[in-house]
Amino acid sequence: MDTMSLLMQGFAVALTPESIMFAVIGAILGTLIGALPGLGPANGVAILIPLAFSLGLSPTSSLILLTSVYAGAMYGGRISSILLNIPGDEPAMMTCLDGYPMAVKGKAAEALAISAIASFIGSFIATIGLVILAPILAKFALRFGPSEYFALFALAFATLGGITGKNQFKTLMAAAIGLMIATVGIDISTGVQRFTFNTLELFEGVDFIIAIVGLFAISELLFFLERHAGDGLKQVAINKLKLSAKDIIKVLPASLRGAVLGFVAGVLPGAGASLGSFISYTLEKRVSDKGEFGKGDPRGVAAPEAGNNGAASGALVPMLTLGVPGSGTTAVLLAMLISLNISPGPMLFQQNADLVWGVIAAMFVGNLVLLLLNIPMVGIFVKLLSIPPKYLMPIVTLIASVGIYSVSHSALDLYFMVGFGVAGYIFRKVDIPLVPIILGMLLGPEMEKSLRHALVLSDGDWSVLFNSGLSIGLWTVAILGLVLPIIVGPIVRAKMKKSKESVKDV
Amino acid sequence: MRINDRVFGMLMLILAVAYGWEATQFPIPFGGHESVGPETFPIMLSIILGISSIYMIVRPDPDEAWAPVPMLLELSVVVLSMLAFAWAIEPIGFMPAAALVVSFLSWRMGASVVKSLITGVTSSVVIFFLFNNVLELALPLGLLEF
Repeated sequence: MDTMSLLMQGFAVALTPESIMFAVIGAILGTLIGALPGLGPANGVAILIPLAFSLGLSPTSSLILLTSVYAGAMYGGRISSILLNIPGDEPAMMTCLDGYPMAVKGKAAEALAISAIASFIGSFIATIGLVILAPILAKFALRFGPSEYFALFALAFATLGGITGKNQFKTLMAAAIGLMIATVGIDISTGVQRFTFNTLELFEGVDFIIAIVGLFAISELLFFLERHAGDGLKQVAINKLKLSAKDIIKVLPASLRGAVLGFVAGVLPGAGASLGSFISYTLEKRVSDKGEFGKGDPRGVAAPEAGNNGAASGALVPMLTLGVPGSGTTAVLLAMLISLNISPGPMLFQQNADLVWGVIAAMFVGNLVLLLLNIPMVGIFVKLLSIPPKYLMPIVTLIASVGIYSVSHSALDLYFMVGFGVAGYIFRKVDIPLVPIILGMLLGPEMEKSLRHALVLSDGDWSVLFNSGLSIGLWTVAILGLVLPIIVGPIVRAKMKKSKESVKDV
Repeated sequence: MRINDRVFGMLMLILAVAYGWEATQFPIPFGGHESVGPETFPIMLSIILGISSIYMIVRPDPDEAWAPVPMLLELSVVVLSMLAFAWAIEPIGFMPAAALVVSFLSWRMGASVVKSLITGVTSSVVIFFLFNNVLELALPLGLLEF
């Protein structure tokens, strides 16, 4: 009952004209960002953070704006999957399997509409799940002491590669690099300068927002140039929408199943949206395939779409309650929270209750906005999608740099951004994942602080890190998360590849 | 070929050692030694980085192809142009600098000269006015101040 009244207060925040305006702007921008191939949700949110920051938006408004962008990007990802057979981001990959064949058969509009409805159902159910689960988890997390937190952070890094991770050592290496960057600057508890080389600019450490924009956006630009991808791709023409209530009812069960599975995958560490949409698709295929899957079955569009949107909302649960994000985009949202001086974690639900519930309520509103936007306005998004990247990418880069510049009006920040861009390009060439680097930079200070607290309380006895059932449990999961992918990973990857290839043969 | 991982692993190993050594050189904080000092966490990190880079050297993954040399040169030129933009934004002003860099980028991505100039000039002017007048974030005018 308590939750309900808090949620109602949340709606009171989310339904003010200002909040609705930010939700609408966020939804439109997000859909656009998600629809452009190569400009995934993490990228889009990263570019918008410095803007929201330098515009001086209130924490609630900026969070509403950015969560709507996040949700919108998940909606947008499907547009390029269906029309171009190219997923806008990784989780949208499974939507290609049946979405593109539908579009080729001249049912592009139906595929888009069905996927919009499925996305809505996915997010809606997962947001309800978030409302139920988050407060429980937050209450539970209050029992965490510093050594449990240290274990939890280790778990976050260990499972970040996900069950499909290729090389666990590269994930570890990336995490170490990120954490190392976080140690640059004046040490908070002793005032000792670390790795600053007496440079004034490094005393406060390296700003993670600059790193995020550089690593994601600038390296993406370099990859675009290298691949000569400036001309964009040919897309399937869109037809006139003919969708009856019967068609919608037919995909409802698939969407509901997908939503629940996606939510669970999103909450669990190491699973994430890609696995959410993959599981939803394979289960749906097993339950209701009569030889139509892979050839344009609407249920094959609905299930993975509901799954990846469900997972996207589910991923917010660990981010908000524990302060430990499970995916790249939630890591970027965490960056937003930290730069607004809000520390996520169990205390968030007590200290900033109106903010959290406002944002959750805004997710309901944003989803409704997205559904309303996406069915009639899909034509406009498709038009924008046909602007070739050779005009769009430079402008996006410009907007990103303006955002960075206006945070502190310093050209030095821009040099850093370009530097991180080059580093990101090299990292991607040697297959070092970027997300653990970002997460390392974000979580580094907190992780070190909890290590120190734990060790100071135990007077330097390292066994304190493993002395409660809870922390042993967390360490176990962390080790499993690190070791399992080495065994299971190749099998799951092979399966994903197989289902993708079987479609190409058709 | 499995050169990339070996070379990168080697570089990271050097970084790990240098970083770890630097951490042992921190001055002793005011108030004397404690069980955990500013160097504890960095030393742990350097060990993790060291282990994973040794693994990378011993068991490298297959290489992803690097771009051919002309493309690498072109990418360096693009990077330089962005650095030049960063340098020019204050003395020359946002609009000219942005117009130049956006035109250059879109030309390098394959747009025709005229079209890329149009893209550059329009986007920089629109963004300037959007930021200065609508969002009220001042961008430097530079040479256009007079």
